[in-house]
Amino acid sequence: MLMVKADIIYTVSGDPINNGMMLVDDRGKIEDIGVDLTVSENCEVLDISDKVIIPGLIDAHTHVGMWGDGEGRDSYDGNEYLRPITGEVRAIDGVNPMQVSFEGAREGGITTVQILPGSGNPIGGLGFACKTWGKVIDDMIIKDPTGLKGAMGENPKRTHGKGFGHTPISRMGVASMIRDYFEQAKEYGKKKNLANQKGEIFDLDLNLESGWMALERKIPFRIHAHRHDDILTAVRICEEFGLDYSIEHCTDGHLIGDHLGSKKITAMVGPGLSPSTKVETANFTDANPALLAEKGVNVCLITDHPFLNCRYFLTYGAVAHKYGFPFDETLRAMTLNPAKAIGIEERVGSLERGKDADFVVLSGKPFKYKSVIESTFIEGKQVWKRDII
Amino acid sequence: MLTIINANLITISQGNIENGKVVINNGKIIDLGADIIVPKESKVYDAKGRYVTPGLIDAHTHVGIHESGTGWEGSDGNESADPLTPFCSVRDGINMKDPAFESFRKSGITSVGILPGSTNILGGTGLALKCKDVVVDEAIIKDPVGMKVALGENPKKHYGEKRSPISRMANASMLRESLLKARQYLNKLELKNDVKRDPLSVALLPVIKKEIPLIIHCHRQDDIATAIRICKEFDVSYRLEHVTEGHMILELIKSENVHCCVGPCLQYGSKVENRNRDFKTAVVFEREGVSFCLTTDHPVVDGRNLMLTASIATQWGVSDEKAFESVTLAAAKHMGVAERVGSLEIGKDGDLVVWSGHPLEFTSFVDMTLIEGEVVYDRGIN
Repeated sequence: MLMVKADIIYTVSGDPINNGMMLVDDRGKIEDIGVDLTVSENCEVLDISDKVIIPGLIDAHTHVGMWGDGEGRDSYDGNEYLRPITGEVRAIDGVNPMQVSFEGAREGGITTVQILPGSGNPIGGLGFACKTWGKVIDDMIIKDPTGLKGAMGENPKRTHGKGFGHTPISRMGVASMIRDYFEQAKEYGKKKNLANQKGEIFDLDLNLESGWMALERKIPFRIHAHRHDDILTAVRICEEFGLDYSIEHCTDGHLIGDHLGSKKITAMVGPGLSPSTKVETANFTDANPALLAEKGVNVCLITDHPFLNCRYFLTYGAVAHKYGFPFDETLRAMTLNPAKAIGIEERVGSLERGKDADFVVLSGKPFKYKSVIESTFIEGKQVWKRDII
Repeated sequence: MLTIINANLITISQGNIENGKVVINNGKIIDLGADIIVPKESKVYDAKGRYVTPGLIDAHTHVGIHESGTGWEGSDGNESADPLTPFCSVRDGINMKDPAFESFRKSGITSVGILPGSTNILGGTGLALKCKDVVVDEAIIKDPVGMKVALGENPKKHYGEKRSPISRMANASMLRESLLKARQYLNKLELKNDVKRDPLSVALLPVIKKEIPLIIHCHRQDDIATAIRICKEFDVSYRLEHVTEGHMILELIKSENVHCCVGPCLQYGSKVENRNRDFKTAVVFEREGVSFCLTTDHPVVDGRNLMLTASIATQWGVSDEKAFESVTLAAAKHMGVAERVGSLEIGKDGDLVVWSGHPLEFTSFVDMTLIEGEVVYDRGIN
């Protein structure tokens, strides 16, 4: 048992608790949280009464462990990009949990990540969610799969049309391939169901199996879309097929905020602090999270690591807050919102009884430059501590 | 004439002055202090107690030559058909209407170094300019500030599959041979008039004559050591860029008294050569007294995050004072333009930023940016 005493505990699910206490059981779950809790005799005490605690941050769109940070091309495993449709590949098979980016995540106060395939392919493969500490990825999983990755716009065009000279060459081509994929998956699913009903042998197709999972709404379709028209095409296709979905990046979302707000879509907004390196990101603004949330969009902040180094996730939150994203909403967009969007909120995303004791110790209130991340805990265990250089 | 009154001045070179005034006339700071008299003929701007810093400076950017939101059409930073192009000048590739310039003004950045990219071993000359909305020739502070050199992965990655350089050895030998040729060319010029013109050597003459430094892209400690080795061999001036692993060969850096432009620290380890990218470099450099400025390498990290980079540097152990200096005066010194910009001092350019709160605070806005006394950005807060 571990009793943590802090100056303020931001639970996210409820009001901040001043002089807060949190009791962590031996399985790493929060047994109790509040004020004036009783400390039993054999309970270890972590007295950080001058510190602030927030829930472990959740980054819902990353490529942690699969982008070859500091390792060069030999460790690039995020895109199986020779073919445009690769529903059968799984992010989990390309992730190296001992890669430096996982430590970067812990340094940044991130305790849970969703890891998705890259955006080179219109249909990119399956993503999953895991904790950021461990040696064996299978032991770190919270949920697998958590979504099917898709991509609109420049990346699939550049990878395939420009890179290999095959379809998709245009935005029309990208959309038509995604449509065709789901049509095939629909046919496949019907045949599979029929075969199951009749008790007949049925050969699985792993590529279409992923699409069928999305069509059955067991997993959402998570579509990379920056430009406003790409976002609208993505929404159009998802509505045609009745999919659950999230818009990944949503860079131009602020230009069509009313439309997206009316649909209450979920947007994974980021990478934050980004340069406009592509034509499709020309309208990037730091105010996007605030502008989208104002219109009723369900916003999660993302680093898209490595595109914003996940070490600086909390600073992204500070900048979103600077441009009008209210304090509470900003913190929620880095914790509870992504937990819900990934479907893992029963375990993580806020500090509540029964949830995992994943938390970050700050020297002061979040989003201030004098408030530094001092240590990160996953399931009650310290997984990173700041050393003085 | 303009006087800013009631300002919390962060001068960089002379400490902080509370309740200070700055008088700007004809684009220059002509007076500053707490107890100075406001000239009768001067317009007055009341800062209402807000912080005022010098305009920020990023000594290593590609603004205007790697344009925001335009793709390959606006990408003009590398003449990557040949690894040796010292005769190129960034001045001929800069688009002053790159939206990034507007974003820089909003972020308090008033001066930038613009350098060719790092694909070529000899990439051409870089310059220093003001982020003014004018044609490039009217914005120049100094051109050239130096000759861009790249060591390490970039040249060998771009050229290596088909031609030299394939290895780090050739990066070095091609640089050496170019400098040797230029030196021999200079020797011949001094002896006779009818020397056949060699464009490469002509472009390198200012380097050989120590009129401009080599500005050398180097991340890994061995690339840094190679850079220093070659510069010493040829007795040329130099500055080092990125210097990601500089803290790992501290004694060499210290003994050579090198000036370093460190960064972009906010990036991840995108290559093997920058796998040790961290704010640790800056923290150790401050502690050990190595001169350095911080850079975003825009657009690698967007330049608007320059002050944010300084703020985050303090979270890893850089002092507030050094953080301010590293994005102002140190950057000016790095480019050799400190007599004009980088601090609030009498005689320097009237490049100032008024901040809504403490400038290092993540949530502070730039309320107003002035270049040479002219308001180039105003958030509309009085």
